[in-house]
Amino acid sequence: MGFIRLVVFGFLALGVIYLSIAIYARSVHRERLEDDWAEQNPGNDDMAARRVFVDRGMVDYNTSFRPKLIGLVFVIPTIAIAAIVYVTNAN
Amino acid sequence: MRRIKITIRLILVAILALILHYSLPQHDIVRVVNTYQERQDLNDWTRMFWARPDDQSATIINRDVQFIQTVKKKTWVLGFFQRDATEAMVYRNEDTGFSWPFYFKFDTANLQTEADDLRSTPEDPKWAVVTHYGWRNEFLSAFPNAIAIRPVASPDVRIVPWFNIFFFIFLIVAIAFLRAMWMQFRERTIDPVLDSAGDKYDEASAGLAERRGRMWRWMDTWKSKSKR
Repeated sequence: MGFIRLVVFGFLALGVIYLSIAIYARSVHRERLEDDWAEQNPGNDDMAARRVFVDRGMVDYNTSFRPKLIGLVFVIPTIAIAAIVYVTNAN
Repeated sequence: MRRIKITIRLILVAILALILHYSLPQHDIVRVVNTYQERQDLNDWTRMFWARPDDQSATIINRDVQFIQTVKKKTWVLGFFQRDATEAMVYRNEDTGFSWPFYFKFDTANLQTEADDLRSTPEDPKWAVVTHYGWRNEFLSAFPNAIAIRPVASPDVRIVPWFNIFFFIFLIVAIAFLRAMWMQFRERTIDPVLDSAGDKYDEASAGLAERRGRMWRWMDTWKSKSKR
């Protein structure tokens, strides 16, 4: 019973952390793309071209490997708990 | 107002510190004297100082608990400085299972056997390090829960609290990360909304006096980063 409770609530908590980190990472990346645009096109006020540049950068980011690393949020605590269970109970 | 804020913060920090002090592992250098098993009543508020094993009915009001009696080396400042004096210390020995605090301890019977194996006399002492969490309180009959025991050659052994070191590093990193996430959210999501609301307000109040409301000045205190 305790095990099921831990798995369910642990999964929910990790899901919240996963979503927060995913949104944060995307936001940071979008900001970086906007900065890149400002750097490469100083004084350019063409908002449509800027949006195309940023949107293409975000598509590249979403299909790259880096956002998938956020999935480690689920993997690392599972490994840590398994390690603690082993270390605590092994003689 | 300022004083109330500081007081509330201090109370929150104190509660957090107490929870951490109760639930993080600590190490004692002990000599095991004896072990025993005793029926314990679990029907009052001190219930929270006893574990809640998985294989136990939720409505049970008393059960047997195993204890480890020891003579413990006294210390200063959370065990960082050892003293020559000793005191009596009794640990309870209970499974924590898969629930809080998350020690995932299932080997109570093995631990009791190891403790029995280390029993010694003052004339021929065998010293051991007990890992435990929890508090000893004589008035509430609360006992720290022993997690592990290992023999050591001498009572002067130096113990490095690796788990606590990594725990606090992780805690600081997590707080810094949370703060960065909040700043990012404020800059990218809240401020633009306030800005567009501000533009509308400016249009509406273009003909009015330029006096700004208290609420607005307060909202301005939330803006810190300069806009591009």
